Formats: sequence, structure tokens, C-alpha cells
Amino acid sequence: MLTIRALIHPSRHVHAHCDIPCGIYDPEQARIEAESCLRIIEKHDASDDKLFRARCIHVKEERAELVKHHLDVLWHDYFKPEHLEKYPDLHETFWKASKQASTVKQSLDAAAARELLAMIDTIDGMWKATGGPEKTRVSGRPS
Amino acid sequence: MAAGITVGRRWLDVVEVRGRSMAPSLLPGDRLLVESHTYQDRTPRLGEVVLAADPRNPARELIKRVAKIDEATACAELRGDDPAASTDSREFGAVPLAEIRWRAVFRYWPPGRAGRLVAGD
Repeated sequence: MLTIRALIHPSRHVHAHCDIPCGIYDPEQARIEAESCLRIIEKHDASDDKLFRARCIHVKEERAELVKHHLDVLWHDYFKPEHLEKYPDLHETFWKASKQASTVKQSLDAAAARELLAMIDTIDGMWKATGGPEKTRVSGRPS
Repeated sequence: MAAGITVGRRWLDVVEVRGRSMAPSLLPGDRLLVESHTYQDRTPRLGEVVLAADPRNPARELIKRVAKIDEATACAELRGDDPAASTDSREFGAVPLAEIRWRAVFRYWPPGRAGRLVAGD
């Protein structure tokens, strides 16, 4: 029966659904991990300590894996087909960036890490141009 | 009066909207009148706001707009009005027309935005 109570608080909820309940995305997450990779490579190269160098390699590989993860989330969850219309090279860009993250994971090449940062910045440009900062971040943080 | 509405409940119901994928036409917390009478007589039409079980989680009921109808396969593509914030047929594919039974017809809450839900609104 449709009671007043049911009208005020319908028990049936319909979902104007979005897969990611939080809807928070920002290429900055990937960039921070990629910056870590670059800095770790520099620290590795500056050190003579075998143990420290081994730790650098281990941590850098973890960070590079996180870059791949954050790029994947952006690629699969934030970007939509209408963004692809605006950026026909979107898939190519992500594919290359993801591969670059693999290169950084496997190597100790600072130039490769810088190249990865540049690729993430390209993606950041796409995110910003599609309204990412307004739509997928919570505003109000003190500047 | 109560008896009449009880009988009517079979094809009339009220629902509350969760999520933002139908913004700006429907917002979280909107209360809607839905009815299942129309689709007993005909199939959904373009632009209508409909309820459908989430193909990936049938326990969850989605509210989306009919964006495309394929007569050959008798399927409808559903979209959110805010495509950038919507998981819809682009991800889970088209939905059989026969599985769409409820149509959203009227928003009664909040009062300031109350009114009939027009197809293609």
C-alpha cells in the first residue's frame, strides 16, 4: 500500500548508477608514483651501497606497478567513449604510457622515467580538458 | 482510498533515486512515481526514463534513459543523462525490451522540481 510514509521514504531505490561510487580520479596519483621512480633511480645511481641499491630496485618496481594501476583505473573508469571522440589517440596514449611504465619497472634509465612523466602529463591534459578537476575531485581544499 | 491504492500498487509505485548518472534531470534523493501499465501494451520508446535490472547485478535496479532501440534484436540501449558519470549500456550492453517493465513518469519530491518526466527531457 502506498502510505504517506512510503511516499516520504520509498523503500525501493533505483540506481542512477556509476561503477565507481567515489568517482574520484586524478592523474596526479600516477604522477607521484612515477616521480618516485625517477627519484629512486637517481638515488640508486648516486649510491655505492649494494644493499641500498637493491632496495632501490625493489621499491622502484613496486612504484612502477602502481603507476600502471593508476593509469589503468583512469583509462577504464574515468575516460568514456565521448572522450575518445575528442581524443582519437586516447587508447594509443594510454597503451604507450602503460608500456613506458613497464620499461621503467624493468630498467634503471632516468630518461625513461622522465619520458613516463611527460606521458602522464599528456594524460593529465586530457583529464583537465574533459572537466576532470571539476567533476572528479572534491573542491574546497585550502590553496 | 487506501483500498484503491492497494489495488493500484501492482502497476504504480514510488522510488528514490540514488547516484548521479541521470544528472541534471534526476538527482540523488529525487522521489518518483513509476508505473508498469504502459509497457504491458507497448515497448519502451526513445527518451523515456525506465527502470531495468542491472545485467551485472540483477538485485540492483537501475534508472536510465532509453538512448537507442534495436527492433531486430528487441533490445534497448540505456544511457545516463550524464554520460561521463554513468555506467550503462556502453559497458553492460543492450537490455532486452521485454525486461523493461517500469517507466518513471512523475517527480513528486523535491516540491520545487516536481513535475512530469518528459521523454527526452
